[in-house]
Amino acid sequence: MQNKGNILKVQNLSVFYGRITAIRQVSLEVNEGELVVLVGANGAGKSTLISAVLGIAPAKSGTIRFMGQDITGKSTDSIVASGISVVPEGRGILPLMTVLENLQLGAYHVKGDITRYLELAFDRFPVLAERKNQPARTLSGGQQQMLALARALMSSPKLLMMDEPSLGLAPLLVNELFQMIDDLKKEGQTILLSEQNARKALQYADRGYVFEVGNIVLEGTAQELIGNPQVRHAYLGGAE
Amino acid sequence: MDILIAQIISGLAMGATYSLIVIGFNLLLLVRGVLPFAIAHIAVLSMYAAWIVLEQTNDNLFLAIPVAILAGCLLNVLTEPAFRPLALRHAFLETVVVGLGMGIIATDVMSHFLHHGRPIAFPEVLVGGGGMMRLGVIVFSLGDAYTLFGAIGAVIGLIYFLNHHKQGRAFRAMAQDVNVARLLGIPFNRTGIYSFAICGLLAGLAGVLMAMTLGSAGPALGNALAIKAIVLMMFAGMGNLKGGLICALIMGLAEALAMAYLPGRWTEAIVFSVIMIAIIVRPQGLFGSQA
Repeated sequence: MQNKGNILKVQNLSVFYGRITAIRQVSLEVNEGELVVLVGANGAGKSTLISAVLGIAPAKSGTIRFMGQDITGKSTDSIVASGISVVPEGRGILPLMTVLENLQLGAYHVKGDITRYLELAFDRFPVLAERKNQPARTLSGGQQQMLALARALMSSPKLLMMDEPSLGLAPLLVNELFQMIDDLKKEGQTILLSEQNARKALQYADRGYVFEVGNIVLEGTAQELIGNPQVRHAYLGGAE
Repeated sequence: MDILIAQIISGLAMGATYSLIVIGFNLLLLVRGVLPFAIAHIAVLSMYAAWIVLEQTNDNLFLAIPVAILAGCLLNVLTEPAFRPLALRHAFLETVVVGLGMGIIATDVMSHFLHHGRPIAFPEVLVGGGGMMRLGVIVFSLGDAYTLFGAIGAVIGLIYFLNHHKQGRAFRAMAQDVNVARLLGIPFNRTGIYSFAICGLLAGLAGVLMAMTLGSAGPALGNALAIKAIVLMMFAGMGNLKGGLICALIMGLAEALAMAYLPGRWTEAIVFSVIMIAIIVRPQGLFGSQA
């Protein structure tokens, strides 16, 4: 899988919270245009990996390379400025600020005029245009998820990371969300997705990694993982 | 009647200078989660800076005023690294201690090194804005008018900045959710320095305006001002910028009227009694807490 379009490459990464190991010797990579999914139970280390890539959780050992550059130990703002953005767990919208202001903050590191990016966001999510001057807390859960996604796209990121985006959404909205993710992928967006809803995520993903108590225990193409009896048993609600 | 109106104008002017300190407290509380007690002392140090320039340059106001404002900005930015580790681990009470310590050190510096600890008096060209203004029967000092407009202009400018400037939005994002703000790539360190710089500018401006309205300063002024500003902040509701402005104006007004119409030196006791009762009855402050 060592091809030229390598966007993110994590090697032997370990992260500790105090004395507790959150992830141990984790290696993974995301190539250009891929949708890669991290599967695993709550607390298995998926979110920690995302935090570590963003420089929020400090790496104890190992390296993180983004577009060929070593970003291990860099500050979060410089990592975001270099082209990684995130849809945080729980959406992370700023409730008292307007929809427009949330989007503007997504383009914090964009130099110059951001009107073009705002127009793109409003084209993609017309409901946000209708409500652009409302405080973000007045949006419904599904709309807030759209806002979080639109905000993360404001900087035209080279890598979009999404941390448990389907959490707390009604089934119908989950379908809609994955449709959006699929559309983004078809546009060529590189995506790293952490998701407890393995069945849904693997349906759309190119490849996946299975996390268990801080370790990657399995990796492969989405097809391989769906076909794996272990995965079927643990994450896809058992075999038929 | 004419005396009453002159008292009202001078009270509002004093209140407006309080408001700059209160807003400095509020802004850093919101953006950084710190209580920078020494901002009041920095405002007084800016008065000293203005005084030194006036002494050295034969009353050159056009040099003294910018120097004082920049001195406030610089001094406050210099305190930022001390607060940064505390802000990172959300250690609010510790920031109160650090701020108090800085205030005590600043007071000692003023008592021992600056003008041998004696009070400083500002020259005629600055005090009262250099003259009186007559509107019909009302006579008031130009200094009060400059102070009132200067302070309110600064507050309006700040509110505009917070709402319409990219950096102002970053401040508000930090105030609402520091973790999300960091995930969006808003730089924690740089935003902190900017917020201290802006509050320092407000403190420097407050120093200039106090020089105009009070006409003198001394080592004890910092503590008196800091206590008033903290109490006003609680009175208005912690972190409430507009509430802080309004309550500061009311406090200045109440002080001026009490000074003119109540017997003896009971002004502060009366003002603080009202505030104590208000805080006991309404713990979230008059306008609600936003911290």
